[in-house]
Amino acid sequence: MASVLLAENQEPGFSFENCRRNAFLAKKGNALPKATKTGTTIVGIIFKDGVILGADTRATEDTIVSDKNCSKIHYLAKNMYCCGAGTAADTEVTTQMICSQLELHRLSTNRDIVPVVTACKFLKQMLFRYQGHIGAALVLGGVDNTGPHLYSIHPHGSSDKLPYTTMGSGSLAAMAVFEAGWKPELTEEEGKLLVRNAIAAGIFNDLGSGSNIDICVIRRGSVDYIRPYETANLKGEKQMSYSFKKGTTAVLDVKTVPIIIEDVVVHHTGEAAVESMDTSS
Amino acid sequence: MASERYSFSLTTFSPSGKLVQIEYALAAVEAGARSVGIKASNGVVIATEKVPKSILVDEHSVHRVEEVSKHIGMVYSGMGPDYRLLVKTARKKAQQYSLVYQEEIPTAQLVQRVASVMQEYTQSGGVRPFGVSLLICGWDNNRPYLFQCDPSGAYFAWKATAMGKNYINGKTFLEKRYNEDLELEDAVHTAILTLKEGFEGQITADNIEVGICDASGFRRLDPNSVKDYLANIP
Amino acid sequence: MSILTYNGGAIVAMKGDNCVAIASDLRFGVQAQTLALDFEKVFPMGPHLYLGLPGLATDTLTVRDRLKFRLNLYELRESRKIHPKTFSALVSNMLYERRFGPYFVEPVIAGLDPVTFEPYVCNMDLIGCINEPEDFVVAGSCTEQLYGMCEALWEPNLKPDDLFETCSQAIVNAFDRDAVSGWGAIVHIIEKDKITSRKIKTRMD
Repeated sequence: MASVLLAENQEPGFSFENCRRNAFLAKKGNALPKATKTGTTIVGIIFKDGVILGADTRATEDTIVSDKNCSKIHYLAKNMYCCGAGTAADTEVTTQMICSQLELHRLSTNRDIVPVVTACKFLKQMLFRYQGHIGAALVLGGVDNTGPHLYSIHPHGSSDKLPYTTMGSGSLAAMAVFEAGWKPELTEEEGKLLVRNAIAAGIFNDLGSGSNIDICVIRRGSVDYIRPYETANLKGEKQMSYSFKKGTTAVLDVKTVPIIIEDVVVHHTGEAAVESMDTSS
Repeated sequence: MASERYSFSLTTFSPSGKLVQIEYALAAVEAGARSVGIKASNGVVIATEKVPKSILVDEHSVHRVEEVSKHIGMVYSGMGPDYRLLVKTARKKAQQYSLVYQEEIPTAQLVQRVASVMQEYTQSGGVRPFGVSLLICGWDNNRPYLFQCDPSGAYFAWKATAMGKNYINGKTFLEKRYNEDLELEDAVHTAILTLKEGFEGQITADNIEVGICDASGFRRLDPNSVKDYLANIP
Repeated sequence: MSILTYNGGAIVAMKGDNCVAIASDLRFGVQAQTLALDFEKVFPMGPHLYLGLPGLATDTLTVRDRLKFRLNLYELRESRKIHPKTFSALVSNMLYERRFGPYFVEPVIAGLDPVTFEPYVCNMDLIGCINEPEDFVVAGSCTEQLYGMCEALWEPNLKPDDLFETCSQAIVNAFDRDAVSGWGAIVHIIEKDKITSRKIKTRMD
C-alpha cells in the first residue's frame, strides 16, 4: 500500500540485492575489498562522580591510515555516550540507530533520562540479532538516576558491567595501565589522567591506534566532551612550499561554466495553504 | 438519509462526489476539545483545553500537547486514541529522516509525511479515517511554522487558528486579536484568552495545556509556568 | 587483485580558499587492457556539488544513477538545494543499506555549501563510513601514491589557480606510478560563481 501511494520511503532494513553477484565475483578470484576499521583503543572508567570515556582518533583501511582525526565517542543521549571499535561504519550506524531508539523510548515513556541499562539492552539485542556480522565492539558509559554505569558490549551481543574496561586492538596496552592505576573513588583529575595514560599506551604501542586523545566526562547533569583532549603527535611545520608554478600543468581543454543567478525565489512552505482537498461540499 | 447509503465503505464516493466518512471524521473533530495555535515573530504557541470527564481523573496522567522532535510539537482536537498513533508515527518519521540525512526534519516535511499517512487512511481497505485534526508547530530555518492537518490528509499553514468545539468563535476571536508582530509571550497570553472564551467553568493550570516552540526548541509548559500566565489574565 | 582495482581509476578532492577541486583520471580498462580514454568518474550533482565514484565501473554508473534519483526526489520534495554534508549522509545511508552486499565504489564528495559557500570535501569506504578531513581526500587504485603526493603538496588557503596546479600535479604524479589508472585527467575547480573544468596533458602509457 505504502509503496504505491508514497514512493518516498525506501524499504527498511538491509538490501541483499548485490550478494549473489559479489559472491560470484569472489569465486572468480577477485579479492573483496575491506571496509574501514577503527583499529582503536577505547576505554572507560567509573570515577567518584561519574564516568570517563576515552578514545584515540585513528581509522585504518588495512595498513593505510584513512582518517587521522576520526571521532569514536558517539552521542547516545544527553546522559550517555558510547565508544566504538571495529568496523567503522558499523559503530557509526549502530550508535546512531540506538540513539534514535533511545529518543523514541524517552518520548514514549515520558521521562527526562533513560537508564543506561536500557541503552545496553538495545545495543546487545541488536548486535545479537546480527550474530556478530555487525562488527561493533562498544564501551557504553553514562550516568542515570541510579548512578554511573559502564558496560562493554561485544560484537556478538554479550556484555559486561565493569568499573573499568577497554576495547579495540589497543585494549591490552590500555588495560595494563588500568590494572596498574585504577582504584575506587578516583577524583575527576586522577581519572582523566588515568584515561589519558591508557589511550596514550594504545596510541604508542598499538599500530591500529594513533593520532589524538579524545575524552568525554559524564557527570550527573553535565557532560564535558573534550576533543581533542591532547594532540599526541604534533605535525612538524612545513619548512618550504612545494607548490608548483602556475602553468606547470599542460591544459588541453578548458570549459568554464559560469553560475549565473538570474532570479531568486524564496519559497516558504509556511505561508498560504500548501495543498487542500475540499471535502466540504 | 440518502448519503448513508454510500457510507458502507469509506472508499466509495457518493453520487454528489462526497466521501461521507471523511465528513463524519471532521464531525468527530468538531465535537472534540478546543485547541489553538498562534505564530508569533519569535516562536509559536499551541494550547488546548483538557477538561476531565470526572473530577476523579488524574489530569496529569495524560498529555494532549506532545513533543515530536527537538523543535517540533503537536496538539489535537478529536479522538485521543487516534492521536496517540499519529504522535508515534510522527516521532518515528522524524527519527527516520534524521537517520538518513543526519539533520533534523524540517517542520514542513514532517507535516507532509504525517498528512500522507492520514491520506492513506482515506483510501485503504479495512481502515477508517483518523478522527483528529492536528496542529503541528515547529521552528526551523530561523522562523516559526504552524500547520493544521485534517483527517482527509489536507494540510494548511496558519498564522493563527482554532479547532474543535466552537472553533468558529475561536477563529473570530483570533482574527480580532492577531497582528503580525506579536511576541511569543503575548501569543501565549492570546492563546489562553482564546481558550477562555466560552470555557465552561474556571480555567486553571490543570485543565489547559500549553506548548511553545522557539529557536531553543519545543517544550511543554509545566503547570507552574501556566499558572504564571494565568495570573496575568483578569 | 581487489575488485576495486579491476577497472582502475583515481580521484582526489582538495579544499582551497573559498573553492574546492576534484579531479579524476580518464582511463577505463579491464585489468591490464585499456578500453577507453574518456571515462569520467566525477559527476555533477548540483551547481556546486560534485561526486566522484572510483571502483568497479559498473557500480560507478549504477550508484551514480541511484543517487541522482534520490537527490532529485529530495530536491523536489523539499524545494531547496541539498547541502554537501546532507548529500554525503544520503550517500552513506545508501551504501550502508547494502552493508552485506556492497557496491564496489569508494565515493568522494566535493562541493560548496549552497548558502554559505563554505568548502566541503569528504570520502567514504564502500559501506559508507564518512571521513571529513580539513584538507584533502583521495580514493581509487593508487591511494598510497595520492596520499603521499597530497601530504607533500597541499597547503591551506590555496587560491583557485594554485589549487588547480596542486591538485593536477598530485593526481598526475600519483597515477604515473599506477598501471591501471591515468591516460588523461580532468580537474574541476568549483567556485562560488563558476566551475572550471580542465582536461590536462598526461603520459599516455
